[in-house]
Amino acid sequence: MMSFKPRGTELYYQIFIFIIALVVSISAIFPLMYVLGVSLTSTNELIRNNYFVIWPTQPTLNAYERMAANPAIWRSLTISVARSAIGPFLTLIIMALGAYVLSVRTLPGRKQILMLIIFTMLFTGGLIPRYLVMRQLGLLNSFWVYIWPMLPDAFGLLVLKIFIENLPDSLLESADIDGAKHTQKLVYLAVPLAKPALAAVGMFAIVNHWNAWFDALLFVTRSRLHPLQMVLRNVLTSDAFFDAAQNVLSDAVRTNVVSMRMATVVVGILPMLMLYPFLQKYFVHGVFLGSVKE
Amino acid sequence: MFIVSYLIRAYRANTYEHEPYIYGSVRIEEIALAKHVSGSELPSHATGGDLAEGLQQVHLGTIKTRKPIGVPLKERIRRHRELYILFIPVAIVYIVFRYWEIGLGFVAVFKEMRIGQGLWESPWVGMRNFQMIFENPNVVRTIRNTIEISLYRLFWGFAPPIILAVVFHDMVWMRFKRISQTLVYLPHFFSWVVIYGIVFALFSTGTGFVNVLLENLGFQRIEFLLSTRWFRPILIGSDIWKTMGWGSILYMAALTNVDPGLYEAAVIDGAGPLKRIRHISIPSILPVIAFVLTLTIGNILRAGGEQILIFYNEAVFEVADVIETWVVRVGLGRFQFGVGIAVGLFQSVVGLILIVIGNYISRRVAGRGIW
Repeated sequence: MMSFKPRGTELYYQIFIFIIALVVSISAIFPLMYVLGVSLTSTNELIRNNYFVIWPTQPTLNAYERMAANPAIWRSLTISVARSAIGPFLTLIIMALGAYVLSVRTLPGRKQILMLIIFTMLFTGGLIPRYLVMRQLGLLNSFWVYIWPMLPDAFGLLVLKIFIENLPDSLLESADIDGAKHTQKLVYLAVPLAKPALAAVGMFAIVNHWNAWFDALLFVTRSRLHPLQMVLRNVLTSDAFFDAAQNVLSDAVRTNVVSMRMATVVVGILPMLMLYPFLQKYFVHGVFLGSVKE
Repeated sequence: MFIVSYLIRAYRANTYEHEPYIYGSVRIEEIALAKHVSGSELPSHATGGDLAEGLQQVHLGTIKTRKPIGVPLKERIRRHRELYILFIPVAIVYIVFRYWEIGLGFVAVFKEMRIGQGLWESPWVGMRNFQMIFENPNVVRTIRNTIEISLYRLFWGFAPPIILAVVFHDMVWMRFKRISQTLVYLPHFFSWVVIYGIVFALFSTGTGFVNVLLENLGFQRIEFLLSTRWFRPILIGSDIWKTMGWGSILYMAALTNVDPGLYEAAVIDGAGPLKRIRHISIPSILPVIAFVLTLTIGNILRAGGEQILIFYNEAVFEVADVIETWVVRVGLGRFQFGVGIAVGLFQSVVGLILIVIGNYISRRVAGRGIW
């Protein structure tokens, strides 16, 4: 922000805010390091150190191997990957269609349609009506219950609409002169030009799909169809209540449970960590998108 | 919190509605009509110069209108037929997966639904389901818990993102700033399940880091996750941990739009860091603050059910059971559909009313509302 070299009060201020940022940063990263550390620690080392382990002396992948032996993990991983691929793809199609149509300023009824779309962000029918609708549509205990209800993503549509509106007018107008139809303008101009916005919105859809478990809890009772986050939830909460009672359990059993839980958490985070550099590149852009005025 | 960032973008999206100028293509007869109606001469470039071409690009800069003037609605709709056809899938998706459930909710809430009985055969019961909300002491408890937890979230979670934004904005050590930002935004992308896993790793009684540390230091272990005293601090603390960095981006966006000259002038005039925060930074993020407050107040009957549903257990129901968790556990789990739907609609309607009121106040105070 300021380009001068801080001195006096300004220097103390810089030191002060540095300390705040440092504390916040450490508190953000330490729990993750700890979880990773425990997941890599062997049973013996955990017991020897009475569970006080920050980073293992001899990292081991034992917990991951035991987890990989569980077919439920692989099944749920497949479901998670499938929904994180199919869901965002279909969402993007719907969003691109809606955003393009609503970016045409001469469209009669445009404002009313926008109001109806924004309204869905402010008012919902509630969980049970949604459950009843899914039942009516026969989507309970089906993979598609993960996909369809997430298609009407009002926020993504609006971000995309702004982006298309802010494209240079001359580009779309030149197509008018050539007599292009809207469908052609959408496919050959708007979509290629809006790639950065599509990427941003698509990546957020991937995050939402990867992290979703609530819909599985509500609509899917068949555990074969549960995504990874749902399996992770079951692993974590199954005996949380008996956590205190675990003191009675043998050390070996307890440790098994602990490092395997942490390994599952790591697997639940990993795709997000891999996606994060791209996300970071786009999300700041995404948020700033609306505030940039011509 | 995520919905807040959703909506702030939606809000910004909306501000574009008020742009007075439009660019578009209009037929030549419309240009003539526009001339006639506005009574003004169009700038020469507006007609595109060459009238021989059937279709012209027109810049209606001086007319300040949103639509071609003088063309009947029917004709304008006909002319945009292709766009309406393109919009059909979008409309279907919104109707089936958003509006259908709202309509169904408003019908079903006046009926008594039984297992194995369809919606249409069920008998009408008038306002009975709404009355049952306030007759059931458990539901009343969930409403109280919901409001309390929401207010605690607001109280503790409101300032951290603002402080963080100011810290990042004022920091001169750019490299550290970037690393630090990378770290604090990260937890936003984790699911509540993962956050619970992390909380469990730190706070569980048997093996949690904090408890092992407490024991090593000679203190008693604390049953953080099972105690009614610690449940809410843990809940709200982990929420702040997850959303603080992300929340700061909104304020950062407002701060980066401030003219740097203002800060430079303030420095020359001898204003210290605190004075700059008070007189430049805070006023410039006031609209964002008003916006966030409005949405938070609108969501006062939503206490983050997705988080609580995974964090709570029977030992802490007394302080943790909120409307959403009750709807899932009892409404859906034990087929008490009627009350469940009534509570859900109660949430939505109250939320909408509060947002409208909040928006009105925000317009009066900060000069800007959500819409």
